[in-house]
Amino acid sequence: MTDGAVQVVATRPTPGTPRPYDFPEVERTRLANGLSLVVANLPGRPLVSATLVLGNGAGDEPDGDAGATVLAARAVTEGTERFDAIALVEASERLGAAIHADAGWDAMSIGVDVPATRLEPALELLAEVALHPTFPTAEVDRLRDERLNDLLQAEADPRRRADEAYSATIYTAGSPYRRPSGGTKESVERLDPARLRTAYQRGLDPARTTLIVGGDLAGIDLAAITERLFGAWGSSFGAGSTGLVVAEGAVRERFVRVLHRPGSVQTEIRIGHIGLPRRIPDFHALSVMGAILGGLFNSRLNTKLREEKGYTYGAGAGFDLRRAAGPFAARAAVNTEVTVPAIVDILAELDRIRDEPVTDTELKSARDFLVGVFPLRFETPGPVVGALAGLVIHDLPDDELARYRPAIEAVTVDAVQQAARSHIRPDAAAIVLVGDADAFGSDLEAAGFGRLVIERDAGPQDEGRDEGVQEALGPLDEGSGGPTEGGEEPEPEPTTG
Amino acid sequence: MPTQPTVSFTDERLANGLRLIISVDRLAPVVAVNLWYDVGSKHEVEGKTGFAHLFEHVMFQGSRNVAKAEHMALVQAAGGTLNGSTWLDRTNYYETLPSHQAELALWLEADRMGTLLDALSQENLDNQREVVKNEKRWSYDNRPYGSWYEKLQGHLYPPEHPYHHVTIGSMADLDAASIEDVSAFFRTWYAPNNAVLTVVGDVDSDAIRRWTEQYFGGIPANPSIPELGDLSLPAILGEERRETVHDKVPLPRVYVGFRAPRFGDDRLDALDIAAQILAGGKGSRLHRRLVRDERIAQDIALVPLGFVGGASIVAGWATVRPGVAIERVETALHEELERLGREPITDDELARARALIETEELGGLSRVEERADRLSMYATLFDDPDLINRMLPRYLAVTADDIQRVASEVFRADNRVVLTYLPELPPADTVAATEDSITPIDVADAPQAPDDEEVAA
Repeated sequence: MTDGAVQVVATRPTPGTPRPYDFPEVERTRLANGLSLVVANLPGRPLVSATLVLGNGAGDEPDGDAGATVLAARAVTEGTERFDAIALVEASERLGAAIHADAGWDAMSIGVDVPATRLEPALELLAEVALHPTFPTAEVDRLRDERLNDLLQAEADPRRRADEAYSATIYTAGSPYRRPSGGTKESVERLDPARLRTAYQRGLDPARTTLIVGGDLAGIDLAAITERLFGAWGSSFGAGSTGLVVAEGAVRERFVRVLHRPGSVQTEIRIGHIGLPRRIPDFHALSVMGAILGGLFNSRLNTKLREEKGYTYGAGAGFDLRRAAGPFAARAAVNTEVTVPAIVDILAELDRIRDEPVTDTELKSARDFLVGVFPLRFETPGPVVGALAGLVIHDLPDDELARYRPAIEAVTVDAVQQAARSHIRPDAAAIVLVGDADAFGSDLEAAGFGRLVIERDAGPQDEGRDEGVQEALGPLDEGSGGPTEGGEEPEPEPTTG
Repeated sequence: MPTQPTVSFTDERLANGLRLIISVDRLAPVVAVNLWYDVGSKHEVEGKTGFAHLFEHVMFQGSRNVAKAEHMALVQAAGGTLNGSTWLDRTNYYETLPSHQAELALWLEADRMGTLLDALSQENLDNQREVVKNEKRWSYDNRPYGSWYEKLQGHLYPPEHPYHHVTIGSMADLDAASIEDVSAFFRTWYAPNNAVLTVVGDVDSDAIRRWTEQYFGGIPANPSIPELGDLSLPAILGEERRETVHDKVPLPRVYVGFRAPRFGDDRLDALDIAAQILAGGKGSRLHRRLVRDERIAQDIALVPLGFVGGASIVAGWATVRPGVAIERVETALHEELERLGREPITDDELARARALIETEELGGLSRVEERADRLSMYATLFDDPDLINRMLPRYLAVTADDIQRVASEVFRADNRVVLTYLPELPPADTVAATEDSITPIDVADAPQAPDDEEVAA
């Protein structure tokens, strides 16, 4: 169907000369009380991003208080010694700023994005929230109820259900990562202001706290502002946070766990096992390997499942790198009829990345992507501050970001294969599915991926051949929960490719 | 008050009609290349819904000098990011790259604008048809409450109006799409004189001009791009439309939708501010009353969606807390919306909304990708790319009177659609549930742990 009237140029352009790029200069200082101040002055960026990183995350909170740290982060903006919740939100809105506090597995952060001209009053509010929260009973009760309702909503959402069941499957009962960071129904029901205060105070130690600010800071004496707002903070309640997280894998051999969802038009697939912490010697090789296996658009998984087979809108794989070993998962949502062939293809790719060296083209594409996209990621202050927070959270050296691109460039074919062989174990992977088991259950049985458990309304039914399943999976009726951020809303938006 | 930096740009046309907008910004070593085609799902005809979007997928399947999926591979290997998207009024394609790779993006976009059909095959079409059907399942059919937006749009626009159907289309129409349909669509709409190309970032304007001429200059215009005809609609719906949907969701949810002034009408600016005051964060009226004070809703939202033909949409929802009567939530929702039309907002509410919108604009315009997309958008939809510099002043000029007036025009019972999502009843009780009525349900009596959720496809 060549159209002769059209003239295009067949010769591909060659790239110009790259403009040199370095991660922004960062200035690090410390107040007398131990608080660290990390500042990236970014000329021409008038929207400043500031984040206070506290050392308490959900990963090392006691089992009985699961969810307290995440809920405490939500509650710090619900009332302070000087302001009630409404006065606080109105004061920040007058500055055109929203103060957001969040806790994850590894840390808590209280942040604000605000025009540079209003940075100082915004930091005053941030300090008030961080240092003087009151955890009012009425607000804590409401937030707790909202979290419980969110857990109900998560049950109906196949994606959240699959993610939660996956974590509950791959970690042992003693591992916090087994549960949602926001806690389970049982633990959240117990939460009250006292437990939230305790969880919050675990992080209240200036010596383990860092204020990170990025943006156009011309004419702003940040050191003086920080000293004024945080210099008198001397109390140290922070002994309760150990930073130690148990993360043990529960999967010894391959098996399949299905959460039956009748009528489901797609099956949510998660395949994998526990992965790695962020601080590992082969981080850069792992990044390149992850891009080739399941990160790039033309990754092996997406090419196979989407561009060759049309099974899915997108397939990928990745390591969630936390202070302790977070999960590794390959994931896709596929139309119900192709559930079993999709699993076959995913397992084959997990084998292949271990068994065969990647091609030079694959290696070069992945390295060039990770190196080239680096300056794009840090165009604005928010991501710069986020990356600097990552260094603090994971105790990484100051030059980690400057080292990133040369370290990626140096990754070899052998290093990629070594990373895959060391860290991906398809023979000891859990296969967790949320979908219509009536449509694919017998095919699944016939496929022989491993022992098979199908959980229906009446509770788990072992359809496998031996009795070892319960031990391998752990208790199947353990409550599940949702991501810290609550349910995602299907806000209407343009349909993207 | 912080000042918004002015976006300076040049605006010109090639002989074949391609509009080229260049905005130089040396701050970061990055470039955004953004191409809007003046074609969207509103150009689809009955029986061919979902076609503009399916076509967008086909645009990544190769052209004369580019293999299937190679567009993605080349951009990512150049250290870039990319995507395309389709909406009622338009389709866009965009790449963000290290600035020394700008020429690559121009060459790739030109090759597919000129020669997509050279590479079109039944196999690739079938493959992307399956991908898009899985996108529909993933985004709508397999999600709790996933049908709401399609229902809302269907109620707000009459069946003969091109906004009546949603961009993702229907499974039946996707199944029926043929290779002849794809070819005809391409020949009709994918022409340089139906597109705007915007380049923003660390580039040399003369080089961009030279490359654009070199790569796009040989693609002929389509002299007969069809006119869409008159999309005008009555400003209001003229009646209240209600629908009850039984879905396997744990909590009931009330959705509301209203016809609103067209995108570009300054009354829609006032409505954007109104939405901020009603539902923008924890200081907003709906959050304060429904979530915080009365504690009858789990969450609330209100979002204006601007469209240029006939009418826009304002859509919102409140998720009902367990044990709360749905009517109470619906009544409170309507009361707060209608109150905005009766009573002026306070000076403080207006000041807070302005400050937040200012920050939002500052954030949006700080990225080359967003700046390029907005320049293309204002050029395509309004023939006025300089709107990028005038939108914030327009927002800041909105008065309390403007907000009260537009709220009284839009938030009326005879201009609204109400969708009520209820947890499915146990089989024995379903007889009692009637369609088209709001059936009060105490969630405590409904299934609490819907392990057996079905989706409303």
